[in-house]
Amino acid sequence: MNKRMSSLKLQTHYSIMVIPGVLWMILFNIVPMTGVVMAFKNYNPGLGLWKSPGVGLENFKYLFSMSDAQRVIINTLIIACSKVVLNIVIPLAFALLLNEVTNMRYKKFVQTAVYLPHFLSWVILASVILNIFSLDGIVNQITGIFGGKPVIWFSMASYFRQLVIGTDVWKEFGFNAVIFLAALTGINPNLYEAATIDGCSKWKSIWYITIPGITGTIVLLGVLGLGNVLNAGFDQIYNLYNPMVYSTGDILDTWVYRIGLVNLQFSLATTAGLFKSAISFIMIVVSYWAAYKLADYKIF
Amino acid sequence: MVQSKTLGSKIFKVFLYILMAVLTLSCLYPIWYAFCLSISSKVASNSGMVTLYPVGFSLRSYTEIMGDWKFFHSFWVSIQRAGLGTVVSMLVMILMGYPLSKTKEQYKPRNILMWVVIFCMVFNGGTIPWYMTMVNYKMIDNIWGLVLCGGLPVFNLILIMNFFRNLPQDLEEAAVVDGAGPWKILFGIVVPCSKPVLATIVLFTSVGYWNEFFQGLVLSSGDKHYPLQTYIQQMVVNVQAASMSPDQAKLMNELSNKSLDAAKVFIAMIPMLVVYPFLQKYFVTGIMLGAVKE
Amino acid sequence: MSTFYKKLGAFIVASAMLTSVFAGCGSSNDSGAAGTGTAVSSSGSTAAADEKTDPFMKFDKPVTIHVGQQAYPTQKFPEGDTNEDNVFTRYLKDNFNIEIVVDWSAATGNDYNQKVNLCIASNTLPDGMQVDRKAFLSAAKSGMLYDFTEIFPKYVSPQVKAIMDSGDGIAYEYAKYNGKQLSMVGVDVAPSGQSMLNIRQDWLDKYNLKAPTTIDEIEAVAKVFKEKKPAGNSTIPIAGPDKKSSVYTNFLQAGVMFAGFEPVFAAYDAYPGYWIKDGSGKAVYGTNTENSKKALERLADWYKQGLIDPEMGVRDSSTELVNSGNVGMYFCAWWSIGYGTTDAYKKTPGANWQAYPVKADDGKWYTRMQCPVASYTIFNKNISEDIAKAAVIINNIWVRDENKLGSQNTSIYWYPLRNSMGALDECETSYKSLIKVLDGEAKAEDFNDPSSPYKLLYNDAKNVTTVVKDYSKEKQLSISNFDVNSPDFARLYSILIGARPTALATPDKLIYSEVYSQTPAMEAKWANLETAEKEMSLKIITGKDSTSTFDEYVKKWNNEGGAEILAEVQKEMDSKK
Repeated sequence: MNKRMSSLKLQTHYSIMVIPGVLWMILFNIVPMTGVVMAFKNYNPGLGLWKSPGVGLENFKYLFSMSDAQRVIINTLIIACSKVVLNIVIPLAFALLLNEVTNMRYKKFVQTAVYLPHFLSWVILASVILNIFSLDGIVNQITGIFGGKPVIWFSMASYFRQLVIGTDVWKEFGFNAVIFLAALTGINPNLYEAATIDGCSKWKSIWYITIPGITGTIVLLGVLGLGNVLNAGFDQIYNLYNPMVYSTGDILDTWVYRIGLVNLQFSLATTAGLFKSAISFIMIVVSYWAAYKLADYKIF
Repeated sequence: MVQSKTLGSKIFKVFLYILMAVLTLSCLYPIWYAFCLSISSKVASNSGMVTLYPVGFSLRSYTEIMGDWKFFHSFWVSIQRAGLGTVVSMLVMILMGYPLSKTKEQYKPRNILMWVVIFCMVFNGGTIPWYMTMVNYKMIDNIWGLVLCGGLPVFNLILIMNFFRNLPQDLEEAAVVDGAGPWKILFGIVVPCSKPVLATIVLFTSVGYWNEFFQGLVLSSGDKHYPLQTYIQQMVVNVQAASMSPDQAKLMNELSNKSLDAAKVFIAMIPMLVVYPFLQKYFVTGIMLGAVKE
Repeated sequence: MSTFYKKLGAFIVASAMLTSVFAGCGSSNDSGAAGTGTAVSSSGSTAAADEKTDPFMKFDKPVTIHVGQQAYPTQKFPEGDTNEDNVFTRYLKDNFNIEIVVDWSAATGNDYNQKVNLCIASNTLPDGMQVDRKAFLSAAKSGMLYDFTEIFPKYVSPQVKAIMDSGDGIAYEYAKYNGKQLSMVGVDVAPSGQSMLNIRQDWLDKYNLKAPTTIDEIEAVAKVFKEKKPAGNSTIPIAGPDKKSSVYTNFLQAGVMFAGFEPVFAAYDAYPGYWIKDGSGKAVYGTNTENSKKALERLADWYKQGLIDPEMGVRDSSTELVNSGNVGMYFCAWWSIGYGTTDAYKKTPGANWQAYPVKADDGKWYTRMQCPVASYTIFNKNISEDIAKAAVIINNIWVRDENKLGSQNTSIYWYPLRNSMGALDECETSYKSLIKVLDGEAKAEDFNDPSSPYKLLYNDAKNVTTVVKDYSKEKQLSISNFDVNSPDFARLYSILIGARPTALATPDKLIYSEVYSQTPAMEAKWANLETAEKEMSLKIITGKDSTSTFDEYVKKWNNEGGAEILAEVQKEMDSKK
């Protein structure tokens, strides 16, 4: 006897399930999204969104006509892409290593400790970091032992990006590792047992069992990370940078912010935001398509 | 052969434990630094004297933040927000994530819906239209405003969907054969099998709600309605101007207070530290899917 | 004859009040003089035009003003009071029938600015709120603001008018947009725009050095500080700007940078960041001059010698550095030495900071002058005339009664819609008057004049004798004369030490920027030019770029919109002639 639901009935049930989410999405994501028209207007609050004069692509032209546009976009891409990659690789490596810690207490302690910096704001962290990297800070003391000359790290344009990326990864790796730790629990332990019996080394079982077991998560996080491909982290850079490192540290958001300091530019921020979103969306679509065509793998 | 292997793994173990200890210390140092700042005197903090230990012990920052009924009120607002928000969004995400984890053949609008969701993750209309919409919805000084205003938590939804999708198909098949409907399958099989992931998402969601302060600021008319992070955020005045009028300079001097700044970080962190161990047990030990399978 | 005028006066006042009542929204006709009212209103508008209005009038019916308010979280109210019900709001309600309703409040600084920007962007202004120039212009451009052109002169008190008129009435220019007065402005004292040398006199005394006046002398002293290290190895002879500041302020910013280098430039007759006239009367941008280049070269040399904080531009906070007691000198305006760095005196008791002017090699004192307007209070264009009157009156009351209200146990910051008003010469006058009190030539009571534009002087005169101890006419006041723990210490130290240079001597040349506001081309191009300028100045001083890159920078500046802006500035200068 087959008590299977008919496909149609099943579909109705599924549709009921998505209703709350779809409603939420329509009311709170899609309705405010109409605001992107601001990017094509010279927004005048006195007139309101719809009556403000349209300017076509003027705002975009303005954005890219600035002499700094090129260096700003390059900085943004370098910093953001490095963060996307390293914020997956490092937490993943950490999760795998932590998984090898057998002392449960120590494991939990480490895990809790590294999870903490996520909760510190950049305002606080910036003063700690600037302190550590200052002329008589810990870093210069350590390099001094090895005969290095003291350096004012945050005044050097050539170090700035590395410092920004490094400190961000350090701040977030403990928190980001949580998702991998959760994924690791999904791997069937019988596989490891079988591997040990077959005489597989630790590294081999990591390579052949663990990694494939969480590949889906890694790829997914990578692709979702593309949504941030132009978000290089305003708060962090704003609190760490100074004019001497503009050449390597100035990003889209800090740049728009400075323009906004001179006068309130309502449309420009929206334009920059739309530009970022569009690039991210294209990247996501391309990576989805590539994964599907090349590996026959559907990311979403 | 066997010996060298154990020797190698012993070296590895030692190296591993040391590495973990170094990482732990590097993460604890800023916390310790912030803690020292928070219990040092204002003069010591403001003149950069605090580095490794507290200078001029003083609990004034804590009494200043907590010595006000508003603190406890905003604490309560935050608890409500994080509690209500986590329950609501978990429910919505589970309900929506499940049909989305089906194939296009099983649920026809699935792909379109998925792309709309992705679209919503990437695009937004900017702060101003969002604010105007929230004003139209009467979401000012409204707990539901604080819960819903961020929109559907798309990132977490996709994570949940992905994990549901990767659950072994035969689990469900068996239930279907037994005549279980989709609701029963979802809450009887899929959800219990996804506890580690759901615990992670509960953590992400509650931390997200707890830490959020910008929406709390613009959707509240005053400190009577602030969630905790907003309340704490505005305890420390952040005046942008590097050049100041005497009026501002005077104000800055009265208000600028690194100790207070550090104390706020601490107080705000505590609830998240309390919640963590409860959730941690799910993703440290987890539920072995293999065991469920059998 | 005289009684006739009195009667006429009373008649006119009554008529004015009535018309105001009728003009107000939701007003009814239950005023006491309803009978005469109709007769008056027919006799009409000419009487109202040259009427004598009361700048401190009490409204017949309660006037309610909805405000967006800056909050000062650590400035607590006495038990039971709130931001809507406190000593100030009760004073306004009881004496003037003005009620304050706080529509929203946010902590001063970024939080408040966020709210203001959203209010403007979404066109949901409360009746009144205080904003900065950028927000004022934005709201004015969008046509959201109430026009005070008529109301303000009618209801302004003589005292506020005196403050507004100080400095040739330049404040009015800033309150206007397209010729209409769309805001009420706060006026800042002139010395806030003049940077002095602040120096540790106790260090000078230790090495028997004379207080330096010229750039060469400052260098000589800095070298001694560097060599002798009075604060140990972390001694820094001259502090510099921190990561959030820059080397100097420009024409759009009020005041001076904390630990900026404005006076060093001025000593070279250079005024970077200002629009100035060259020898032939043509507009030039002060940064792009040979004199500025020379000053930059000198600063770069100082930096190289280790006289300037090696971490300038990177440091988290220069104020913190000064507070730490490791600094020998820095440049800033009068307020910095007291208001700005009170923790420095607590951290290092006996740190005897003194202020001196910085002079050019020829002994002349050149200094730049700031735009005197520091804050703007704006009102929604839809407010009733009564609210507009109340707005002017609230400001009058504040200036008249700051003395009285300020001594209550509620912080003055909570006064609704408070504009900080100081006559341009308040510092100098206060200094001279307070010295007279200390000398015994005057008594505090001599300054008890409620209509004086120097509204805090009476209070200061009463306090000065308790805060300053062991005063002797022959000796320069030093930190040991002051009671550091007194709540009035910061103000009195700022005036008596920080403002002394401007009070005792007049600069030989005062430089104003020809333009203090934006021209159309700036809207699009200024942010970038400013970025490049900050980068250039900081990099040259710290030796990251050689001074030869200066000329390249000037060329680039002109090519990327600078020339266009300069032409607009020139046009504006020509139109003023």
